[in-house]
Amino acid sequence: MRVDPRARGAVRYSVDADMPGQLHAALVRSTVAHGVVRGIDVSGVAPGVTVLLPEDVADLPLYGCQIADQAVLAERPRHAGDVVAAVAAPTPAAARAAARAVVVEVDELPAVFDALDAAREEAPLLHEGLSVSDNDAAYFGIRPVAGTNICHRFRIRHGDVEAGFAAADVVVEGTFRTPAAAHVPMEPHATVARFTEDGRLEVVTGTQTPFNMRMELAAMFGLDEEDVRIVVPPMGGSFGAKTFTRQEGIVAALARKTGRPVKLVLGRSEEFLTLNRHPSIVHVRLGATRTGDLVAKAVTCWADTGAYADCGPGVAQKMGFAAPGPYRIPNCWVDAHAVYTNTPPNGAFRGYGAMQSIWASERTMDLLAARLGTGPLELRRRNLLRDGDAYATGEAMHGTCFEELLDRAAAAVGYEHDPAGKGLCLVMKGMQTPSRASIAIEREGDGYVIRCATTEMGQGARRSLALLAAERLGCRPEQIRVPDPDTDRVPYDTRTTSSRSTFMMAGALAEACEALLEDGRRGHGTIVNDGGLDPDTGQGVASTHWHQAAGAAHLEVDEETGRVRLHRVHCAVYAGRVVNAPGAALQNEGSMTMGLGTALFESVDFNEGQVTNANLSDYNVPTARDAAALTHELVEREGAPIHGLGETALPPVPAAIGNALASLGIELYDLPMTPERVLEAIDRRAAPSPEPDLEARRR
Amino acid sequence: MSASVPVRLTVNGTEHELQVEPRLLLVHLIRDRLGLTGTHVGCDTSNCGACTLHVDGEAVKSCTVLAVQADGATVKTIEGMANGDALHPLQEAFWNDHGLQCGYCTPGMIMAAADLLARNPDPSEDEIRHGLEGNLCRCTGYQNIVKAVKDAAGELRAAQAQPVTQEVV
Repeated sequence: MRVDPRARGAVRYSVDADMPGQLHAALVRSTVAHGVVRGIDVSGVAPGVTVLLPEDVADLPLYGCQIADQAVLAERPRHAGDVVAAVAAPTPAAARAAARAVVVEVDELPAVFDALDAAREEAPLLHEGLSVSDNDAAYFGIRPVAGTNICHRFRIRHGDVEAGFAAADVVVEGTFRTPAAAHVPMEPHATVARFTEDGRLEVVTGTQTPFNMRMELAAMFGLDEEDVRIVVPPMGGSFGAKTFTRQEGIVAALARKTGRPVKLVLGRSEEFLTLNRHPSIVHVRLGATRTGDLVAKAVTCWADTGAYADCGPGVAQKMGFAAPGPYRIPNCWVDAHAVYTNTPPNGAFRGYGAMQSIWASERTMDLLAARLGTGPLELRRRNLLRDGDAYATGEAMHGTCFEELLDRAAAAVGYEHDPAGKGLCLVMKGMQTPSRASIAIEREGDGYVIRCATTEMGQGARRSLALLAAERLGCRPEQIRVPDPDTDRVPYDTRTTSSRSTFMMAGALAEACEALLEDGRRGHGTIVNDGGLDPDTGQGVASTHWHQAAGAAHLEVDEETGRVRLHRVHCAVYAGRVVNAPGAALQNEGSMTMGLGTALFESVDFNEGQVTNANLSDYNVPTARDAAALTHELVEREGAPIHGLGETALPPVPAAIGNALASLGIELYDLPMTPERVLEAIDRRAAPSPEPDLEARRR
Repeated sequence: MSASVPVRLTVNGTEHELQVEPRLLLVHLIRDRLGLTGTHVGCDTSNCGACTLHVDGEAVKSCTVLAVQADGATVKTIEGMANGDALHPLQEAFWNDHGLQCGYCTPGMIMAAADLLARNPDPSEDEIRHGLEGNLCRCTGYQNIVKAVKDAAGELRAAQAQPVTQEVV
């Protein structure tokens, strides 16, 4: 009998990975948000400890998956928590003690913490001269704005937006903010690395992007890509946190200096300094005719990418092309920016910019409905995209089912019966386009083994692949083994992100299974999805297909305390075809629960660039009690392609709850919707709606 | 570095005598000295519950217990829950009901649930949610975890109700 190792505590994660003779690392971090290191005093460090200093990595080039802007160790720390030195010692405790004994002297530089402040011409610059990375994650025409902190700007130009607003009978606008958020995978980042005797670099680490990391580490250490090996054990969650190169460069540099394997496990508080979700400021202006037809929309998005770009340009772009929303709008302009600030870097986070944009746009739909005196459900029904409609990117929509999703979500809370205390949200989210997936399958004993770079982080990728292969090959899923991704053994894949893997790998796997049935021993399959957008006009193909969902919330508010009591939050999510029913349900439930945290609790808070709640006492994620009101359903279509489900049910939750509050006259513009903010909005209820922050419209 | 001190404890039925630093946490003794890596560390501040195990039959968060505090104690970890190949009903239920995704919180969740069921063999859904509030799961959304605990409770009650065959001398 094969017993699931998870139920026995028998999974070996990266935190459990060891290499013989390994040393343990700890990091020395800057306490100032922006400065220049003047000196590092290591005289207090115990003997037998190796300290990695900036001069040890002076030969290593800058790295970064989209913009090469980050040094392995920061001689000029750009956020409080930036790593300026590292130590390797025989035990983790000795390493931590040694890291504390390193004294770093830093001359402070002026710092900037807010995206709008940072985008001003007179703002202190974080980086002088930006070079786009030579990495396949930098594929979409990155447009840094020279002499500013803006590391990418993306535009959609669809129709004539000013003529559209001139023709509108009603125009509403608002400025919406979302905070930094922490991914909080239960397993922190962990890496063990060594250089082998023949000069290869071997890295065991939790990452969703093994091939991007291989490319980046090879460039960093001047190796051929084939001489870097990335092995990825199952991750104890990731949600975007374990993408591209994080601590791996430092661990490898320590291994190079010591000549020994080196292991690093981050502490929970360090997680908050490593990678967070982009805070956003989104300004939306939306115009419609008296009868409720949308005629013009202008959106300006500011994605605060923190001290280093990471994939911030990509997040800003996705925020931008999610901004039109799933509606027919003949005139739509979007300006999206990724901006540096002196805060920890922000990167991929379940939803990848879409949530921020959807929060702003779907709240604005309800502002418009209120102004028109029409119902939020009717307004959405009237304007939603149907097959054959053109999206703002010019691509023709296909496989749409927004109306069915909306109706199902609305029905779940009895919206049409009585909309009081209820809110809706409609979601359309893209999938990584373009990308490439390859997979190999071989006979092994009386079964098969799949060689594939899709990483396992709890989403059930291996189970889905085994189920799909079993269906093709006419065997039991248990006869199929899917070992840990190892770049020495698996074919290339773009990365395990954007809910693309089940769809893309299913395509490649179908081809591989066919080839295997022909060959008898092995088969190989590759699938490519083409597309991409012109960054200056936003025209092209944003997504091979679209992830679609609708959310509905029903709640009441304790007006004395501002506490929100949820009766129900429901999501209807389009799956195309479900591969693994229990896994699909879990993806929805987990996404919704994370969306609930985003809606009501979660914010990484700062004071002058210092994180003030870098622990799970002060940073609150939802518990079993909070999640009791969440329900969901999956919508399938006969013969439809598989749609990934990793993220789609997150973005509907905040806006559905926000719109439910709006139905009670409690208008919120900023996340999370804490009791304090709800009380403030209750106080504002009698007053006219606030002036939108026009500063956010500046381009 | 402080001098080491002796600690004797029984873990999953096996007696151990170790020399430890007084500051060593129980979770590190379990993971690093005994190699029982099913007990996980998630937060360092006793919020997440990934390190939950049983000391003398009660669930504790082993990241906030010193190893020396467990001197003389009987400790049970996730590795001690199954009886050979026979999984504990909670392990069965977490597996059958899909109460797990990445599996990192699962051992702590199962140990906390076992403690809950020992104190309340027939908890309501609300009591289960309340009882597991100290254990965080970032993947599943908790619905199947709650279902698993409810199902395991039923299994355990049914097993209790079975007449016990006694050997008659």
